[in-house]
Amino acid sequence: MRAARQRLALEPSPAARMLATLVLAITVVISLAPFFYVVSTSLKETKSLFSYPPRWIPDPVYLGNYLALFEKHPFGWWLGNTLAISAIVTGLKLVIDGMAAYALAKLDFSGKHAIVTALLISVAVPLAALLIPLFLITRSMGLIDTRLALILPPLANPLGVFMIRAFIAALPDELIHSARMDGAGEFEILRRVVVPLIRPGLVVHATFIFATQYTTFLWPLVAVHDLKKQVITVGISSLRAIFTVDWGLISAASLVAAAPLTIIFILFQQAFFQQSLAGALKE
Amino acid sequence: MEAATSPSHMTEEEHRRQRFWAAARHNLTAYIFLAPILIFFVVFMALPVVWLFYLSFQHDGILAPAQFAGLDNWRRTFSDGLVVKCIGNTLYYCVLAIPTVFVLGMIVALSLQGVRRGAALLRILIYFPTLQASLIVALIWTFMIHPDFGLLALSIRALTGVKVNFLGDPHFAMPTIAMIEVWKGLGFWSILFLSGLLALPSDLYHAAELDGAGSIRRFFSLTLPLMKPTFYFGVIFATIVNLQLFDSVFVLTDGGPVNSTATIAWYIYRSLFTFSDPGFGATLSFLLVIVVLALTALQTWLMRERTP
Repeated sequence: MRAARQRLALEPSPAARMLATLVLAITVVISLAPFFYVVSTSLKETKSLFSYPPRWIPDPVYLGNYLALFEKHPFGWWLGNTLAISAIVTGLKLVIDGMAAYALAKLDFSGKHAIVTALLISVAVPLAALLIPLFLITRSMGLIDTRLALILPPLANPLGVFMIRAFIAALPDELIHSARMDGAGEFEILRRVVVPLIRPGLVVHATFIFATQYTTFLWPLVAVHDLKKQVITVGISSLRAIFTVDWGLISAASLVAAAPLTIIFILFQQAFFQQSLAGALKE
Repeated sequence: MEAATSPSHMTEEEHRRQRFWAAARHNLTAYIFLAPILIFFVVFMALPVVWLFYLSFQHDGILAPAQFAGLDNWRRTFSDGLVVKCIGNTLYYCVLAIPTVFVLGMIVALSLQGVRRGAALLRILIYFPTLQASLIVALIWTFMIHPDFGLLALSIRALTGVKVNFLGDPHFAMPTIAMIEVWKGLGFWSILFLSGLLALPSDLYHAAELDGAGSIRRFFSLTLPLMKPTFYFGVIFATIVNLQLFDSVFVLTDGGPVNSTATIAWYIYRSLFTFSDPGFGATLSFLLVIVVLALTALQTWLMRERTP
């Protein structure tokens, strides 16, 4: 933030400032207009969508699309499954990544270099490419069509280990040495000393995992076929598979699906942008 | 620790044994911490990659029992018309989307840089599309481009009288998907570029201003060169992500019309469920893994060059 303020010592000219304001105004309008149009669509009956010229403001306001989601389709299940699976993956991932990150940042052991290399390489493995073997492995474990199939494979993603390792590596070694001198075990040090100090970073990481999980599509599409066990992205896309597409229904579904992540993002946006703007590249 | 408290009259042998057990205990603790990630890593990451390679030498395996295929799949990869088209479409999409989102993202980042009031709110609003699932974004855009009720389609119709069919025309379908993905990605890239801009050394800019360099000059001879590491990172990261384009294709066009939006990831998905030919899909997947790993190696090398 201080760096940002210093930069502004170099004042942009009034013309540049006007241009920037114009660019931002256009960007905001373009970014948000589709959402507003979908809100209006979701409050109309589907057949009235096809009238030309279109009516922008729905009159009368029609709530049938929202009701149908819960009455005629397992939308409640999809929402619940997605929230539960995302929360479980986030919780497990924080523990798994935190433990591994602590070992890699502050413990000495043989084979460290090999493990770091293997995990680092796998950060780059494109998940779409693993679709076929993941499906075959999950099937041989008898997990196809279970929610467990949606929870376990994402736990292998090693990206978080490196993010948390960077937070832990920044803590002074003396802190951990003195805790050891006081007779604390490594688990206790991680839980009582390290975690409280890296909490802001963990919160950002948690929102990141949650968002990734909430928006995932390809793997659930492949791993689960029972609609009641499905997540929200695949569930909504299944609404399209019906012969004549009920666009009003789809607009309502998209908006309800977008709401939870939006709320979570607004709650944590300050920490999120602080982390992002502090330089994602600095490692 | 052990060695420090041990009496000095211990024999060499005893010292060695003690050191051995201390090291073993350290290793054990570390591996207990690493065990969970390693187990998941082996089962759901390392094993699948090895399995891909193995599958690439097989036919069938989903409905019929698997058979050894030799190099058939590998030979077919570069001669199968649809696969070549998928690779071409994916690269075409990358060429459309990445430069566009970079130029627009840079323009938005430069505009955001000078904002004094309301920066936090602006960032949230601009980041809003990035936040949403690709699938939701694709569906929301249906309401912009649908020929009968799409906001954008209707606006174009009202202004020019032309009824545009964005997804129905093989020439327009992929550019339309690229446009949607650019819309979604703009928030991410703006924030990434903004973080790059904020990290630039401000004294250089003051020096340049004292030397009489105008703002356009400063942009081309200072900002762009200094942002090189961010661009290197960005181009390769974007390529890796975009080579896996699937969600919006699946929901908007399912590869059509006339396979004009069929992508590599779409083909991999289809090879499993429609074509029942996982061996061939695995070959394409393995190729994708190799390409992405090579790009990542290039990225690491370029970044290391910059920051010794």
